Parts: sequence; C-alpha cells; structure tokens
Amino acid sequence: MSGGNFDLSDAVQTFFIESSEKLDEIDSCLLRLEKDSEDYESINELFRAVHTIKGSSGMFGFDNIEEFTHVVENILDRVRNKECPLDHDLISLLFECRDCIKDLVDIYEEDGGVLNADLESEKNNLTRELNKYLNNEMRTASENKPAENKNENILVEGESNVSENENWHISLRFDPDIFKHGFDPFSFISYLNEIGEIVAIRTIDENIPSDDEMDPEKCYLGFEITFKGNVKKETIEDVFDFIIDDCQLRIIPPRSAINDYLDLIKDLPESSMQLGELLVSIGSLTRSELEEALRKQNEQSGDTGTQEKKHIGDIIIEENMVSREILDAALERQQTFKKIDIVKKNLIKINADKVDNLINLVGELIITGSNIKQLSEKNHDDVLSDSVITMTRLIEDIRDSTMNIRMVPIGETFRKFERTVRDLSRENGKDVELVINGGDTELDKSLIDKLSDPLMHLVRNAVDHGIDTPEERLKKGKNKKGTVYLNAYYETGNIVIEIEDDGNGLNRDKIYKKALSSGLIQENSAISDSDLYQFIFEPGFSTAEKITNISGRGVGMDVVRKNIEALRGTIFLDSDAGEGTLVRIYLPLTLAIIDGFLVQVAGSYYVIPLDMVLECSEVSKKEVEGSDFIDLRGELLPFIRLRQYFNVTGELPEKENVVVVEYAQKMIGIVIDKPVGELKTVIKPLGKVFRNLKWISGGTILGSGAVALILDIQNLIQTVEKSSSTVRPKEAAVKK
Amino acid sequence: MGRILIVDDAAAIRQVVNHVLTSQGHQVTEAVDGLDGLSKLSGDGFDLIVCDVNMPNMDGIQFLKTVKTDKEYASYRFTPFVMLTTESNDKMKAAGKEAGAKAWLIKPFQPNALLDAVKKLI
Repeated sequence: MSGGNFDLSDAVQTFFIESSEKLDEIDSCLLRLEKDSEDYESINELFRAVHTIKGSSGMFGFDNIEEFTHVVENILDRVRNKECPLDHDLISLLFECRDCIKDLVDIYEEDGGVLNADLESEKNNLTRELNKYLNNEMRTASENKPAENKNENILVEGESNVSENENWHISLRFDPDIFKHGFDPFSFISYLNEIGEIVAIRTIDENIPSDDEMDPEKCYLGFEITFKGNVKKETIEDVFDFIIDDCQLRIIPPRSAINDYLDLIKDLPESSMQLGELLVSIGSLTRSELEEALRKQNEQSGDTGTQEKKHIGDIIIEENMVSREILDAALERQQTFKKIDIVKKNLIKINADKVDNLINLVGELIITGSNIKQLSEKNHDDVLSDSVITMTRLIEDIRDSTMNIRMVPIGETFRKFERTVRDLSRENGKDVELVINGGDTELDKSLIDKLSDPLMHLVRNAVDHGIDTPEERLKKGKNKKGTVYLNAYYETGNIVIEIEDDGNGLNRDKIYKKALSSGLIQENSAISDSDLYQFIFEPGFSTAEKITNISGRGVGMDVVRKNIEALRGTIFLDSDAGEGTLVRIYLPLTLAIIDGFLVQVAGSYYVIPLDMVLECSEVSKKEVEGSDFIDLRGELLPFIRLRQYFNVTGELPEKENVVVVEYAQKMIGIVIDKPVGELKTVIKPLGKVFRNLKWISGGTILGSGAVALILDIQNLIQTVEKSSSTVRPKEAAVKK
Repeated sequence: MGRILIVDDAAAIRQVVNHVLTSQGHQVTEAVDGLDGLSKLSGDGFDLIVCDVNMPNMDGIQFLKTVKTDKEYASYRFTPFVMLTTESNDKMKAAGKEAGAKAWLIKPFQPNALLDAVKKLI
C-alpha cells in the first residue's frame, strides 16, 4: 500500500463499495448503449465510471486493476472523441472487460490481489483484444482523414452550409420530368418576389447532356438563389409546396436567423424531445424535411441490412437541412434534458449494524409503550390516557420510518438480470426480452441480498429452458422474440415475486415419468398438474435431455426452494403446455416487527400475524367436535385446534372461537379459546434449544411482561395440507 | 492549520485525502463534484481547495474557473487550488494554470506529496 504511515484501511473499504457501484453503472451504461450507441451521456458516464475505478485503485497500489482499467479507459476516450465507432463487437468486448474488472476487484478484496492463472490470462487476452482495437482504429482513423477533408472541400464548393451574409440561400434541383407533370419552375421562382426580393440567381447547367442525348421535354437546370426577405423558413418552403416531390429543395438561413434559432433553442421549455421534433419546434427544420430525413434513415438501414440506424442528426447534416452549429446546440440542449430526467440520488451510507441496533431499540420502545398503555388504562386518568395515545401514535410512526430505512426497491436487483438475459439469449441463439413490472416494490434489504441467487437461477432457467428457439416460436405462431417477465407486488402482508416466461411450458408427461421412476408417485395415482409440477423442486429432479453449462443438472431448483424457505417464504410453480411457465414466490414483508392478533388458549398467549387473519368468529362445541372441517357460510373449511397441537390441558371454555387465516391463497381455521386483540409486536427469535420447533416462528413480550408465542401460519397450513388434501384454495390459482 | 475543501467524485480518494489532512490537524470538508463544491463555498471559507479534474455535473477546470471569475465567489479569488489528475496532460495543465491552479498532483500520489503541497500553500 502506498499509504506510507497512514492507515487507509477504511478508505480501501470505501473503494470496494464504490467500485461495485461503478461496475453496476458500467453495466447499465453498456446496456443503454447497446440500444443507442449515440447516447453521449451514457458514453461519458461509462468513461467516468472506469476512470474513477482507475484513479482510486492506483491510490491503493492495486496495480493490476489500474493497469487494466487504463487500457479500457483509453478505448473509451477514443470512443468519446468519436475516433473509434462503438459497434456491437466493441460493446460485447466491453461487457467482458467489465466482468474482468469485477473479478480483479474481487481478488483484491478477498485474496489480497494474488491473481490466479485463469484471471491472469483472461486479463492478458482482453488487453490484447483492446490493443488490437486501439491500433486498428488508429489506422482506419488515419485512412479516413483524407476522405473527411474531401468532404469539407465539397462543402466549401457548395458555398458552405451557412449563408455568410444576411440573405437566405435557396438551392433548387428539379426533377427532369417536371415539365411532363405540368409545372413551370419559372413561376415558382418568380413568386419568390412576392414575399421578398431575389438578390441573385445562379443557374447550374452542369447536368445538361450532349446534344444527341438532350431531350427538350426534360428539365436539366438547377438554380442557386440568393433571397432577401424577413420570412420564416416554412414560408419559403410553402412557395414550392406543389413541386416539393418533383424537386430537391434546400433552404439555408441567413446568419442572423441562425442566431435566432440558437436563442430559441436556449429558451425551449424543459422537457425531453426527440431531436427532429426539437428542430422543427424552433423552425430550423420543416416538417417535410424531417419526414424526408426519417425516410432516408429507414432506407439506409434497410439497404445495408444492419440494425444500426444512422443517427438522424448525421442525416440532417448530410442533406444540408440544418447547419452543424444549430444541430450541436440542439444536441447539447437535449442532453441537459436527459440529465435533468435522471433523478439525482441523494444518499448517505450507513453501517447496517447501526440500523439493526436502532430497530432493536425501537422494538424495546414498542414493548415499553404497550406496558405504559396498559398501566394508564388501569388508572382511568383521562389526561394521562390522552398523552399515552399520542405517544403510541408517535411510536408507531417511529417504527414505520425505522423499518423503512431497511426497505429498498427491488428494481435494482431486477435490472441486474437484464445483463444475464442478454448474455444467455445470445449464447443460445434466442431473442429474449426482459420486462420488469413493479420495480418500485420495496423489500427489506437483507431479503433482497438473499433473493439475488435464487432469482438468478430462475431467470436463467426461464431463458435456457423456458423460452423456445425463434424457429420453434415462429412455427407456433408466436412472436419471434420471447419475453421473460419479472413482477413484484404486495398481497395480504406478503411480497409476491413472479418469474414468468412465454415459452414452451413444462412437459407434463416427462415430469410424470420422472416422478414415477424416482418413486415419488405410484403408478396410476391421480395427481393434479400443479401438484405434479412441484416435484421440480425435489433434489436431483431434472428432465433435461441435454445438460447445458447453465442448468439441467438437477441441482438448483431444490436449492432455490431451500433458500426461499429460509426466508420464511414459499414458492409455487404453474405452467401451461406450450404457453409458458410461472414461478411465484411469497415472502414476508419484514423480518423484525409485525402487527399481530393476540389470542388466548388455556391461559397462554399466542400471536397470529394480523395480515394473514381474515376473520374471527365464535363456534359451538358441537361444530368442532369429532370433525376436521367446519361449515363456514356453506363452505367446508379445514381447521386445527391449538389445544391438540400444543397439547395444552385445562378447562374448555363455554364457547370457543375460530380464526380464519390465509397464506399463499390457502385458508384454514384455527380454533382458540378467545381473541384478545391487536398489538404491534417485535419478533424475538427463539433460543437455540427451541429453534427447530415447528409451528412457532418466534416469541414476543407483552406489555404485561408475559411471553406470547408467534404462530408460524405457513407451516401450520402445510401440516394441515399434508394430513388432509382438501385445503381450500382461495380462488383460481393463477392470476395473470 | 487550515480549512481545506476536497472536491472529488471518487469517495475513496476523498476519504484518503480527508484522512491524511485530518491527521495533520487540518479541518476538511468534502464535496462530490464542482456544483457541490460551489454550494460548500457559501459556508465558512477555506484556506485551500483540493480538486479533481474529471467529474460529473461540473468538472474541476470549470469549477476552478467559476470560483476565480464569478463575483459571487470573490472572497475565494486568491484561495490556492491543488488539482488532482490521473495523467499529466499539458493542455489541461495550461488551462488550469491560466485559470489559477497553484499545484498539480498526479494520481496515484503519495500522501506526503499532498502534505508537502499543502504546507507550501498555507
């Protein structure tokens, strides 16, 4: 470390955090550039991200990172200066470089910067590739130079594209057949005198062929007209409105008009506009010129068969429609709009431990708060009660804001998969688009961190196995481009995340056979599709015929389920043959504080998470004796008796109560002695000894000091489900 | 000991500069880019400004020029600037010199080099 006698270890940590942010930025810049390689703002952002990593890594003596990022930066500098075109190959190469930088940073973070052979050769290979680009491009750039000069000469010949004096310059070239169409060009030119004054006309006769080829019925002449008049560009164009399709018309504004345009650009309202629209709105480009330019753009991209469209600005310049000066000003203006559009992140970084500590304290505050509330109720002191109510409300606000600190939108995690989908679809020769819905849905940060891996696996599965090849898709009459949806939304106190594809769906027969051969089901046993599909999550269950490097080894889906269950979540899978597959993950909203419904069984207290409670009603002994179901307004509802499940003895009350709970669209009843009421509660994990208890997810301390156990509804429902196969689904299983 | 403003978009570099200068008893304020730097100038006043060149929103040269020429920052007209950059680019240096930068440090720099520069200027 070049720090000498200074301890820079804190700064080094900052470097690692900052680098991973910059790497994400690089990814999203490259993805944007892949769509629009002319996006200057992204090129600049990309350059700066690499530059920052380079500059900082040097400070800490991370030579390998500095060396490599330096080469990448060089390339980007050339791209930025337009000395090197940013084509698809280069973008792909830059994606690889980004991964290599990440590996290098990781190695310094974890192993102190000792490169293994693989990474060393990866780095060297990429450096070689990049250098090739640098050298090649230098050559082509120098080859291009004379050509550029030639272009400039042509421009000068054409009197440059800015009219130097205070007159308009109108350049007219007629279609040879214009006479046949019944037009006399002379009348249009003389009409110009109605709106201004023709200062000079130069006739261009270079197109007149030799005498024997000359056709007297054709027009071979062109005119360069110097025109004086205080009019708009549009007005001049209107003069030639009738013959606009039979001639080539270029109107070059006088110097003063250019300044007017520049001023107009500055005064535009602050909203994003397409470049063409922007130029039209200030009047420097007419609408028909814009249409022509757009048509040319499409034509040219059609001719070359490439997908890269020429930038509209280049066409406008080439066709001499607008001067470079105005275009540059417009582009600059456009970029400032884009800048404004990007929401500025105003963030502070806090150590996660500090937040955890705060949440713990808030938990204690809530318990103490409800203690005080109970005491004040006993005292029947109105004044005291009032302030206690205010305090309780404040404590709730504090609780909500505190929990909010940990909540982050899932969109960022989702967007990381754009890169995965892009790479995978290329590898497999598929065309896949990732569509994100509900990216602003917020989740606990710790949940998001742990979700990343299982989600990655599911997304990979969807692209690799789910989406069919373009040929197959066309055959089935589907859109050639496959789509993978990532959705997130709230539902009854849970967060739901869906990974959905419009691919081939699961092969029921294959799964059935596999389940049979693995002994998971008996021959001829009736099993519903959705139950059958859940076998996908069994260890070692894979029906893939060919093992790709991504999936098909049968490890994975069971790991996915384990990961989700470790987060107190559940995972379901549904599929329509030929139509697609949907994986749905249910997760608890938070991990620490919940709204609970307090109930009592034989003198002990239990808490049911309030979000899952649908209703609570009295039941008579007769209704619950000797049966597993009760009649809930005409429908059968399976129920459990907590007394039996927890083996509590004690006198039965006259009337028992049933609490109807729902989780993941399944409902059961829980029979208890009596409901007590709602409370805010902090989940305290059970000690090591009790950690493996089924049906209990934690404990909490009540205001009175008594302990209440929090029921694990998800597990209870699963237990009931196993003992009786008729747990009532809430409604049709899959909502699209 | 002096009050010093460090303007750099790289958090790690800010932290290094902050650490090194604070250890010598200087009072250090951080800013993340030129615009942020300008907003910090409205406060107490600084004896020296350490400033990166390549930054988003407003780069170092622009920041330097604004501080030296804008009437609003007249009290900083004679505040010395130490510019941080990754390469010694003569053109950039000339632009900086013209705008009034007093010293250049090439990244990666030794902490002691920074301290030397600071000692000479305040």
